[in-house]
Amino acid sequence: MKFLSSRRVVLGAFALLCAGGLFSAPARAAENAKQFIQVFGNQLVAIVNSPIPLAEKKEKVLPLVQKNVDIDGIGRYCLGRYWKTASPDQQQRYLGLFHQVLVNAITDKLGEYRGVNFTLGNVTSTGADEYAVDSTLVRPQQPAAAMQWIVSEASGSPKVVDVIGEGASLRLTQRNDYSSYIARNGGNVGALLDALQRQLSHHNAPAN
Amino acid sequence: MISGRNGSRLRPRAQAKKSQTREGSSAQRRFRLGTFCLAATLLSTAGCSAIKAPVPKDPDALAEYKAANDPYEPLNRKMFNMTMKFDKWALRPMAKAYVWAVPRPVRNSLGNLVRTMNEPSVFFNDVGAGKPRRAGDMFVRWCVNMTVGLGGLIDVAKMAGFPHHDNDAGMTLANWGIPAGPYLFLPMGPSSIRDGIGYAIDQGLSPWDYVPRGYGLVSFNWAYNLFGVVHARSEHLDELDALERDALDPYATIRSAYQQQRRAQAEAIKNDNRATVPDWYH
Repeated sequence: MKFLSSRRVVLGAFALLCAGGLFSAPARAAENAKQFIQVFGNQLVAIVNSPIPLAEKKEKVLPLVQKNVDIDGIGRYCLGRYWKTASPDQQQRYLGLFHQVLVNAITDKLGEYRGVNFTLGNVTSTGADEYAVDSTLVRPQQPAAAMQWIVSEASGSPKVVDVIGEGASLRLTQRNDYSSYIARNGGNVGALLDALQRQLSHHNAPAN
Repeated sequence: MISGRNGSRLRPRAQAKKSQTREGSSAQRRFRLGTFCLAATLLSTAGCSAIKAPVPKDPDALAEYKAANDPYEPLNRKMFNMTMKFDKWALRPMAKAYVWAVPRPVRNSLGNLVRTMNEPSVFFNDVGAGKPRRAGDMFVRWCVNMTVGLGGLIDVAKMAGFPHHDNDAGMTLANWGIPAGPYLFLPMGPSSIRDGIGYAIDQGLSPWDYVPRGYGLVSFNWAYNLFGVVHARSEHLDELDALERDALDPYATIRSAYQQQRRAQAEAIKNDNRATVPDWYH
């Protein structure tokens, strides 16, 4: 009897521990995601608000973006159904081009902001190992912008996989842009690669 | 006799003639009907191909077609191209000039004015959507801003803790559970069947359309509407420039962003179940 009850206690405690672990693990992961955005955001804001010239800002932001944003994952998502039909060579070329396009899109924004601040809000789970961190971006003389950062921990370390501004997911909008372009060019992934290449050379032209 | 003979001769001939003409006319009619049908079919197929997009067979492409919810894509693209041309040669230069000539604080005030004048329509929609807290906020905003805020030039209500929120009849219909229906690109921008109907309802909900003639307010109303369009465009100069520069297919990008935003907006209004009494009451 005594043995039984003690076993019950032990089992009960074990079950409780498991349950506790079950409940706390996602909570911890969500907290991780929030902290990750806090650190990443602080670093970004520090660079954006610093009085250094724009070119230097871009240089400093680049490693941060490469470390904290899952650029390859976003690239694959954006190619959507055409990822399967693209040849391995095209996939490689596409990822290389997409990498530059995305980095350009982020660094182009740097010059526009100054005196930026941000606050973080709730964290919600949006899928397996994926969390949405609410944030508000405060810019001087402009209305505050609500943004959501989607952080994935699927790769082991937290990485940004999407940003949602005013209800629109950037990666989904980009995917629709790309897939519509490919569909209108006869389903040819090569047409997209050429267009991205043109876009990049056009972007780099004024600077040269 | 003659008549009889003639009659006997004539009648069959006449009958024959009659039947001939009847046959001829029916054949002619049939022919005319045939050409008409053919022309109608041709026209309708030509029309359809100009209005309706073909439904893809490939399952992946079909899924994409359904997600885009844009069966009238060819027609919409034509409207989009026309609108973008008008924007390029008329609206954007006007908005640019407006930004160049008017300093930001003044523009913000004028923006407040335009927004305040649209707020009665937002209020009616808040009521229609069954959101008393939102409607109350909007009512207080309008009363405060029309008086203390000098007819809406200064957003005093925001400082007092009643910030502006958007609403329109399209959103109200969405809250009633009415689906968006196919995507439409209208001259005033991206829309859908539901939002297009909502736009028409909003015109009816705006009290400025019921101003009696001869008060000078009608011309004020026109000025307000036109100014509102230029002002709204001036608020999105950088975004639209960036979009036209970066998007490979601006039409598809705008469609996707618009549909996502409307969905999120409808969801946000639906989930806004704040208490009717304001926070300070508790």
